[in-house]
Amino acid sequence: MAEIILKNIKKVYPAEKERKHPFGKKADHEPKKSNLQVTDEGVVAVQDFNLTVHDQEFVVLVGPSGCGKSTTLRMIAGLEDISSGDLYIDGKRVNDVAPKDRDIAMVFQSYALYPNMTVYENMAFTLELKKVPKDEIDRKVRDAAEILGITQYLDRKPKALSGGQRQRVAIGRAIVRDPKVFLMDEPLSNLDAKLRNQMRAELIKLRHKVHGTFVYVTHDQTEAMTLGDRIVIMRDGYVQQIGTPQEVFNHPANLFVAGFIGVPQMNFFDARLVHVGNEFHVETPTFSVSLAPETCMKLSEAGVDFGSGQVVCGARPEQIELARPNESGAVRGKIVVSELMGSTVHVHADVDGAEFVLVIPTVDFSRNGGEDFLDGGDIWFKFEPNAVHLFDKATERNLI
Amino acid sequence: MGKVLKKWWPLFVLPTVLSFTFGFIIPFFQGAYLSFCKFKTINKATFVGFSNYAAAFQDPEFAHAFWLTAAFAFLSTVLINVIALAIALALTRKGLKGTNAFRTVFFMPNLIGGIVLGYIWQILINAVLSSVGAQLLSLNTTAGFWGMIVLTLWQQVGYMMIIYIAGLQSIPSDYLEAAKVDGANAWQTLWKVKIPNLMSTITICLFLSLTNGFKLFDQNLALTGGDPDHMSEMLALNIYNTFYSRVGAKWMGIGQAKAVIFCILVVCISLVQLKITRSKEVQQ
Repeated sequence: MAEIILKNIKKVYPAEKERKHPFGKKADHEPKKSNLQVTDEGVVAVQDFNLTVHDQEFVVLVGPSGCGKSTTLRMIAGLEDISSGDLYIDGKRVNDVAPKDRDIAMVFQSYALYPNMTVYENMAFTLELKKVPKDEIDRKVRDAAEILGITQYLDRKPKALSGGQRQRVAIGRAIVRDPKVFLMDEPLSNLDAKLRNQMRAELIKLRHKVHGTFVYVTHDQTEAMTLGDRIVIMRDGYVQQIGTPQEVFNHPANLFVAGFIGVPQMNFFDARLVHVGNEFHVETPTFSVSLAPETCMKLSEAGVDFGSGQVVCGARPEQIELARPNESGAVRGKIVVSELMGSTVHVHADVDGAEFVLVIPTVDFSRNGGEDFLDGGDIWFKFEPNAVHLFDKATERNLI
Repeated sequence: MGKVLKKWWPLFVLPTVLSFTFGFIIPFFQGAYLSFCKFKTINKATFVGFSNYAAAFQDPEFAHAFWLTAAFAFLSTVLINVIALAIALALTRKGLKGTNAFRTVFFMPNLIGGIVLGYIWQILINAVLSSVGAQLLSLNTTAGFWGMIVLTLWQQVGYMMIIYIAGLQSIPSDYLEAAKVDGANAWQTLWKVKIPNLMSTITICLFLSLTNGFKLFDQNLALTGGDPDHMSEMLALNIYNTFYSRVGAKWMGIGQAKAVIFCILVVCISLVQLKITRSKEVQQ
């Protein structure tokens, strides 16, 4: 049983006092890297973070770099002080508990294997420090090595291992402790694409073999979608949305989440929401899309105040389908460029300055030898009913 | 650019090769040859075989200087490195204020020349000795030895500290954080993580302090001058005195022989030390 509760967690990095340069030169000001809030206390890296990670749940923190996800993880680990708020692991407040006493294990992005120790020693180190009997250490290390398939490397130094093998050792080092909580800080980002996919699949398998609560940090939305029971999307130190992969994909809370989750990115266009009787549609100067009845119902139920009716519409590339020329409700665009991805082709089309990306199966694309999709040519498409997401232009929140 | 360099590189290498040849290689071999000769100037040398070496080995002062130097080099190496590492560890701690000021202060003695240091410390130590009623440096062998240790520490700890700080800062913070999560306390982190990853730095510092210890000359000359009765005379000073302070033509050759023995000794000890510590180095 290991539940992690984060209550109003906040992290402020105190502002460094401006120091005079020893030789009277003016120190270069670092360019502003993100939109993190700066207060009198310093830079606010994380704020208003509330989350309950249930026992044996796999939660992924995801967001662009500098969003505070690693800081949050490091606060759970005890490697960073918590500026304010409460952190509970297993019902016990651990704000001031040393990392070693939190019953956690951490996998670092750089693996952080001790180069002076063999794989065996690396994995045994934490148990030796706990004064676990020698034969028990041996059994645990060999068991973990067995699970991860690194038994034949136990006598090697980390330097003699490949990236993927080092990654396994780093995970093995975490497993031997049999911790309540596994913390992983971008563990796959140093691997090449192919190995990353492979290790991702192995992590999913591993999770069913070892029973623990996982908190996993990544900037890669694919990893987040495939690994997480729930995903926490962060930006500029704030939580944007917490939900299952399906929830955040189908009902993104705001524009940021909509754009961040899903590859290729959701298409956005500015439009006006028009209300005629019980029907709603969105209009742009060149085309208009009627919304599905369910969407209309939700909109009326929500009683949204439209004001000027200006909204940002979003439609996922997969939910845009090809249409016959001049078909009703179809939109005409000009093909800018096509990217062959393998089984699909991403076609970029320009509609009055707004760019739309469509995903077309390669079979369809090359039916006429690609003649139908020449760069600069016309393309007709329409939106699936239910496909259109509506966001408030000012608050960027999802209206439905 | 590459082509030009390929064609003209000898021209650029020439100054260094010439100065190294005339300033080091030729005098070195000439000196080695002279150690087998009786000579007054290098043009008036007569070959005498190994007799200079025989005389050098039979010189009790040389033997005494050797053991004194060995003891000094060993003790100063240990103390310099332990203290320098301790200060480096203290000054690399997070959140410590004024670290730069401390680093500067500790490094400063290194900027003062050995002779000046020797005389300053002679005055200091003599003042202390006289205030406690002990014999002054010129009559006091133990005070001479420990005086040199103190002086050397004072001069070299700061220098080694800078190298250790650089070494400590190059250890990835991930290792230290991993050790924290693994449950290692400060002492265990030091022995199991920091020191093993610091071995290449330790190699350099041991090499420098060991060879410095053997080659110590200025400080020895200025602090005690070998007094009383050559009892605090170390190898380099002994060689110098043999060469310049004795009357008679044979002493030049003997001094030269001692210098060659000294050179071989220092090279051998450093090589052994390098071999031992290198084997402990880890590659990341």
